[in-house]
Amino acid sequence: MFELIDRVKPGLKKLVATLRETYPYASVLAVADECRTWVVNSSGVNIAPSGRRGGTGYVLRVFDGMGCAEYSFNEFSEEKIPALCGILARRLAEQKEALKGFAPLPTPVPADEPAQLRKCSAWRIHPKDMGDEAIVEKLTALRKKALAYDGRILDAQANISYRAFRKLFLSENRDLDQTIMWTAASMVAMAARGQEIKIAYHPFSALGGAEVLEDMDKDVETVAGEALELLDSQPVIPGEYECVCGPDTTGMIVHEAFGHGVEMDMFVKDRALARQYVGEYVASPLVTMHDGSAVEQAATMFFDDEGTLTGDTVIIGKGILKGGMCDALSAARLGVAPTGNGRRESYERKAYTRMTNTYFQGGEATPEEMIASIKDGFLLESPASGMEDPKNWGIQCMVTTAREIKDGKLTGKIFSPIVLTGYVPDLLKSVTMMSKTPVLSGSGFCGKGYKEWVKVSDGGPYMKARIRLG
Amino acid sequence: MIERIQNALRQCGISLWRINEAVEETAELFFVRQKLDTRRIKDVRKYEVSVFRDVDGDGGEKRRGFTAVPLTAAMDDGQIAEELRSAYYAAQFAANPFYELADPVKGPLVEKTGSLAEKPLAESAGIMAKALFAPDTRGDAFVNSAELFISRSRHRILSSEGTDVSYTDAQAKGEFVVQCREPEDVEIWNQFAYDGLEPEALSRKVEESLAFVRDRARACPDLKSGTFDLVLSGDAVQELLGYYRHRSGAQSVYAKYSTWKLGEDVQGDVQGERLDLTLKASAPYSTEGIPMEDLPLLRDGKLARYHGNNRFCRYLGVEPTGAYQKFHCGNGTVPFPELKKGPCLWVVTFSDFQMDAMSGHFGGEIRLAYLIDGVFVQPVTGGSINGSILDAQKNLVFSTERYTSAEYDGPYAVRLPGVRVAGAGK
Repeated sequence: MFELIDRVKPGLKKLVATLRETYPYASVLAVADECRTWVVNSSGVNIAPSGRRGGTGYVLRVFDGMGCAEYSFNEFSEEKIPALCGILARRLAEQKEALKGFAPLPTPVPADEPAQLRKCSAWRIHPKDMGDEAIVEKLTALRKKALAYDGRILDAQANISYRAFRKLFLSENRDLDQTIMWTAASMVAMAARGQEIKIAYHPFSALGGAEVLEDMDKDVETVAGEALELLDSQPVIPGEYECVCGPDTTGMIVHEAFGHGVEMDMFVKDRALARQYVGEYVASPLVTMHDGSAVEQAATMFFDDEGTLTGDTVIIGKGILKGGMCDALSAARLGVAPTGNGRRESYERKAYTRMTNTYFQGGEATPEEMIASIKDGFLLESPASGMEDPKNWGIQCMVTTAREIKDGKLTGKIFSPIVLTGYVPDLLKSVTMMSKTPVLSGSGFCGKGYKEWVKVSDGGPYMKARIRLG
Repeated sequence: MIERIQNALRQCGISLWRINEAVEETAELFFVRQKLDTRRIKDVRKYEVSVFRDVDGDGGEKRRGFTAVPLTAAMDDGQIAEELRSAYYAAQFAANPFYELADPVKGPLVEKTGSLAEKPLAESAGIMAKALFAPDTRGDAFVNSAELFISRSRHRILSSEGTDVSYTDAQAKGEFVVQCREPEDVEIWNQFAYDGLEPEALSRKVEESLAFVRDRARACPDLKSGTFDLVLSGDAVQELLGYYRHRSGAQSVYAKYSTWKLGEDVQGDVQGERLDLTLKASAPYSTEGIPMEDLPLLRDGKLARYHGNNRFCRYLGVEPTGAYQKFHCGNGTVPFPELKKGPCLWVVTFSDFQMDAMSGHFGGEIRLAYLIDGVFVQPVTGGSINGSILDAQKNLVFSTERYTSAEYDGPYAVRLPGVRVAGAGK
């Protein structure tokens, strides 16, 4: 796949060698990709390139007297090498002139340890092999089934998207090549209460291909039923409650409430409170948190967008903050090893420290035991959105559904929508039970603030904690 | 490249198509405090081709499907044809009720003028960087980090129907974080976007944010739960009013997510101000080549028109407008000092204020608010609001002071009575 990469590789090697004659460090990341999304809903059938795709192109990184500089472009041939080097030199000189008075942030030149790798992720059914007709037929059938569930279903949507990409990273000492495919899908049901539309949503994702469609059938009626349940929902009385978080809600807390705060480019900027707590208890001893590619999910990769090999990073070990995740530039500035978390939205964007597959490890309890242990609380499900606050460890997460628990039993009463707030360590230290098996989901994208969207997955087990709801 | 694409379309027998070409160059600066973290430049040329295919439906009716495919100049002619064939094959399975393609439009290049469009990118970046840090002169509150993106682009849209239009654009956008370490170490995140070179506006925004972050550092974290008259300002007003733009979208109406009818009083039984919203054209043409101009959206709280892309407007039988990013709100009757007279809660910044246009719910976690009770003003932090525009829209009151960003031009603030607030007491 992606023969373009094989064609341009000799020229890119020459480009790096030419740049090294001028700069103490030079590397190039080449990306080739393909993607497609299929959506079926009441607006009709839509087949399009995926939103937030990466695109095919190149990004050069060099170090000069002002530190790190990058050049993104998408037209390359060996004949263009002198022109590309000339453009880079001229525009960096223009910037230097326009930025008189600004000093560079001291950054050691990357070590560029030797490494070679060529790997490909596995998939069972390539969406191209399944074909547009079969995919649309399957999605149409799923939608019809949801609509048939109850006449009050206003609309149902079934969709699937995939992105396959090949990335080549070349520096003087590194030659890394990976091909990866992820696929994500979702089943959505909507029901109306006057002008208010209630939405239930189940995601599906895999490091793999169209095989994710096989899992969707069994959830269709559940999604439709959840949309109808929401019609009778009411606002929660604000307060702090004993809660059981479903794996999806645990994942949102892992990712939004804690994960963003241990992205170590935030340490460089003094924007993360976590930096002061390395080696200290920040959570219950039941909490162990991982990020990386030791699991196979939508964000698994063999090396990151700065040419750092990936692995398994333990962020919290039995309640103690072990450290963060780190991109290469931040690692050089902090004097630590990079963890393979330097990721770009595309070749057109800067690399930042970003999460990959982030999750809490499982514990010993069962969800039934957790619910039975609560006198007055909620089961929280279906996260809607979340926002990070690395500086102050404030929580802002929204979930769609809170199921009331009274005297150890679900009452059937639903509250929605729910805003989770509070102080992250307070919540994590209040964890008293974890179920055995973590479940990860990677149907969405993660932004840094409101941009820089990258594919991530997150999750965990069922988790019992005290949480402030509003 | 466009000629190669057109040749490939002919070769593949594709007679209905649209080509979008976008050429962009940028200068990007990333700062930690006032030091340069990274510099970036970008030169890209991108093509997306939409192909349309007519098929017969089960009842013999004519249906039209389309899909789009990105192409790059690195592809040889064989690859371009292969991608187009694949898209054309897929389009038959995306067949929807028939609609006419966008009407043909031809015109000369519409060039953006002004210093941002005309100065070298590096020079504009330098001017905006200096403006961003100009107010950053005191040690107690400072700019923690910043990102600045200066871009220039050229867009061309061609179609099989005869459209051939092009225009240029230029933007200065970015984000910055301000920090204050005493008595509490806190920060506030901000973003900005200008379609001209606006160093003075950027400096003012930074200066205002530095004042806010000083207040957040001394804000009290024990806001009590309850129901408050809520005052929203700046970008939160834009987010709130975005509900009306979404609900009036042709696709929402076609899908029956919105039941709004033209001429309908969508605000209901109003005791506050009746809404006056206008869609603002921020480019001369939509991505489909539809000429864009300012359009009335709500007048006196009544829906003046649907808006959206060609297909969904055709389905509703209204003139296609293209997709709008910016709107103008003509409301504003009360000076801001009077609008925020107590008792009320003026929320200045949220971690992430969101308006869910489907449900009508809005909410977010409070980063900085002022609890105003008569003459006493207490900065507060933490807690969250959870309201519904369906309830609040009957009593909206807007400030006479104005606020402008790349996607909004309207009152600086709005007051909404009786919004539920979950407190933050630890």
